[in-house]
Amino acid sequence: MRLRSPVVTGVGVLSAIGQGKDAFTAALRTGASAFGVLQRPGRQRESAYLGAEIGDLPCPPDLPRQRWRAASLSAQAALVALGEAWTEAGLNEVDPCRIGLVVGGSNVQQRDLARVREAHGGSGTFVRPTYALSFMDSDLCGFCTAQFAIRGLAYTVGGASASGQVALVQAAQAVLTRQVDVCIALGALMDLSHFELRGFSAIGAMGSDRFADEPSRACRPFDQEHDGFIYGESCGAVVLESEDSSARRGRTPYAALRGWGMAVDGNRNPDPSLEGEARAIRDALESAGWQPSQVDYVNPHGTGSVVGDETELMALHACGLSGVRLNATKSLTGHGLTAAGVVETVATLLQMRVGWLHPTRNLERPIDSRFDWVAKEPVAHQVDRAMTLSMGFGGINTALSWERIR
Amino acid sequence: MNRSEILDLIALHAREVLAGLDDHQFSPSDRLVELGANSVDRAEIAMLVQESLGLSMARVELFGPNDIGELADLFLAKLHAAA
Repeated sequence: MRLRSPVVTGVGVLSAIGQGKDAFTAALRTGASAFGVLQRPGRQRESAYLGAEIGDLPCPPDLPRQRWRAASLSAQAALVALGEAWTEAGLNEVDPCRIGLVVGGSNVQQRDLARVREAHGGSGTFVRPTYALSFMDSDLCGFCTAQFAIRGLAYTVGGASASGQVALVQAAQAVLTRQVDVCIALGALMDLSHFELRGFSAIGAMGSDRFADEPSRACRPFDQEHDGFIYGESCGAVVLESEDSSARRGRTPYAALRGWGMAVDGNRNPDPSLEGEARAIRDALESAGWQPSQVDYVNPHGTGSVVGDETELMALHACGLSGVRLNATKSLTGHGLTAAGVVETVATLLQMRVGWLHPTRNLERPIDSRFDWVAKEPVAHQVDRAMTLSMGFGGINTALSWERIR
Repeated sequence: MNRSEILDLIALHAREVLAGLDDHQFSPSDRLVELGANSVDRAEIAMLVQESLGLSMARVELFGPNDIGELADLFLAKLHAAA
């Protein structure tokens, strides 16, 4: 027996190429990018890491600026993305006790924490009392639920770069088990300091200095010249709701989450596993009741990592998805790490709605020509069934199956 | 640093932490609670003032004052004791 599927009744998104789904959709269509040397305070120390940063976030009009200023960038971004999704889904009319929030991401406020420590010069004498609240990721739950009427559940889940999709799965389970009628999955903005950037660089995961003089060419998922991911700040929110609740409220959902797969490799290292990725993809197909040939589009993890990109395409081949339509959202946004799974789900749902697929920047010579790549120009393509994939350090693989609601 | 300057510092940091005080005329008889501060806000304001004064006090030392005038007196006494 198939479980009934939760449906998406609202989305919100923030990225360097666009804040809000209208700006984001327009940027996807043109294949926009905003890569440069990272400028935010706390990002560089005798370094010039590349990445993409979101512009200034305006304080929401109904929030005192003191509360806004006291929040971390991750918390501010969460509030803005959630607010957009909340409004679209019309959640003010839902019983607050039937609404939940699952925040995807752990240790997301690193730059904020590093700045506190650096500001106090190693001494904790004048550390703000509110640091006791704000250093925890769950501060995002408190900050958001204080502003929006969410009284069912709120917690954080971590899965490295798969955190966003792990949050979507948790939110779906909360809806399917009727713990709540509506559950918002949030992909939290991972706010890196120069320490994490140094670590990612040292471990060989981040793009090298090859394109230091041409930042817009550095991020190149699936291209033969890829050599690591390029960081991009982002945050996304997806409102999952039971079919009953959405129908009762007369909403027009984007899509239904028909199934998912989650598989771990048993591997502490960053290297990917073909077996683990394929298992997640197969489980997502099987739980949706789909044949591979029915999938119109895959939004891959595609970070630009040499081994990661290759392994992912091998996994798609292994699951009968050779030749499927592919692009790479990270080529435009950069890698949002904990946010990626939700932001790319939003990109997928928006593309489903508009009927075209966005270009992939810098995909000049694909590493595997057997796929139907969307490279330089957007392509008109009606997607009815899509899969989104995420992989995280620690051997965490996730795949989601989305079906458009007509 | 005199009492009036410390009161100005308290007002500065109260505005930093609390909403709706931009046009408020502070007086020594103002109580932070009545200005909308909860216990976390009060601790935050007290810490910001201590940092501005370069004065480190244990939390227990901050119990007692009934209004910001008395709070300023407490800080002033501590400053003099440290001098």
